[in-house]
Amino acid sequence: MYRYPRWPIHLALVGVSLLMLIPFYWVLKTSVTGENIFAYPPSILPKSPHPFYYVDVWYYIPFARYFLNSVVVSAIAVIANVVFNAMAGYALTRDFPAKPFVLLLFLSCMMVPFQATIIPAYLITGRLGLLDSYWGLALPQFSTIVCIFVFKASFDAVPRSLIDAARIDGLSEWRIIWRVMMPLAKGAIATNVILAFIWSWNNFLWPLIVTRSADMQTLPLGLARFLSYQEDTTGALYAFCIMVLAPGILLFLLAQNEFIRGLTSGATKG
Amino acid sequence: MSADEVELPLWRRLLINRFVLVPATIAVAIALWNGYVATHDHGIVVGRVVDAAGLPVPDAAVVLWVLNFTTYVEKTRATTDSAGRFVITNNDSHNIRLAAEKPGVGRSARVPVRLYFRAQDIELNEPLILSGAS
Repeated sequence: MYRYPRWPIHLALVGVSLLMLIPFYWVLKTSVTGENIFAYPPSILPKSPHPFYYVDVWYYIPFARYFLNSVVVSAIAVIANVVFNAMAGYALTRDFPAKPFVLLLFLSCMMVPFQATIIPAYLITGRLGLLDSYWGLALPQFSTIVCIFVFKASFDAVPRSLIDAARIDGLSEWRIIWRVMMPLAKGAIATNVILAFIWSWNNFLWPLIVTRSADMQTLPLGLARFLSYQEDTTGALYAFCIMVLAPGILLFLLAQNEFIRGLTSGATKG
Repeated sequence: MSADEVELPLWRRLLINRFVLVPATIAVAIALWNGYVATHDHGIVVGRVVDAAGLPVPDAAVVLWVLNFTTYVEKTRATTDSAGRFVITNNDSHNIRLAAEKPGVGRSARVPVRLYFRAQDIELNEPLILSGAS
């Protein structure tokens, strides 16, 4: 039983949520009306909505090809993130010499922007012969430090006695990760999947640099290409934005419970 | 893990969950839509041409323009029959414009027609109205 009524808090939260959703609503509305964003007075409700801007986008550029490229690259990035981050996260839960230094190194590396490492990343990708390929597009996103710490926080919450028991039963470290830790870290996995997917899906700079052929471009590059082709694109541009955003939003809505759980695991005690 | 989850058989836990059902529903919708497109993409455009009084206009020339990325270009022509009806069979665009003309009767406005997919078969609800003969 709460001492105070909860409805004012809920009302305020609903109000803030609606406020946050206004830009999304505006993009959706413009995508079905083509109304100029500077129109005054703006219409709150869509007038004569129609889906033809989506049809235009589908046919103006090779949307299906870009979509496939984004899906393949994101899938590679997501799988690599879960595998490598889980391994790194587990390693950081163990005691080893210079562990504080490694943690400090990881944390300090988070402060280096990707733009600063893009030339070495390009050279490495080129030496590996992966330029203009799906693997090359996904390579720099194989592991992210934030997600390593998400796994570390989740694994830290697992009782040490459980790991010791698994070791006594003869499990190797590798099998402890996949048979014991991972089933207990569904929230961290969901968080990794969502973050890796969204970062890979929205990535613009790296695909711009590493792709050479039009067939290997991803959706954000397609958006830039679409903008360079068309002049009067208000409706079609917003429709394109919705088509690019929809998979990420859908994935988040599907896994939002696990996502929140993954981000907050290890954040509370007791 | 809750008690409910433990009691459910494995196949049901694997298949009956939102991570399977939502993508499966989307896949079914896409398959149905593609089936519909495949059976309705013959590029047939059917319509009527009438004069200002609403009477059918035979032998009127109907012109189809298609969007060529940024501008509309003439794609094909057709002629109306005795009932003022025309049939165009080779439209391959999703964004077209239609106009009709007959010397002595007049010409119609260029009517934009948006289609849901390329070469969609369509029958116009509103006729092309000729007016303004000199």
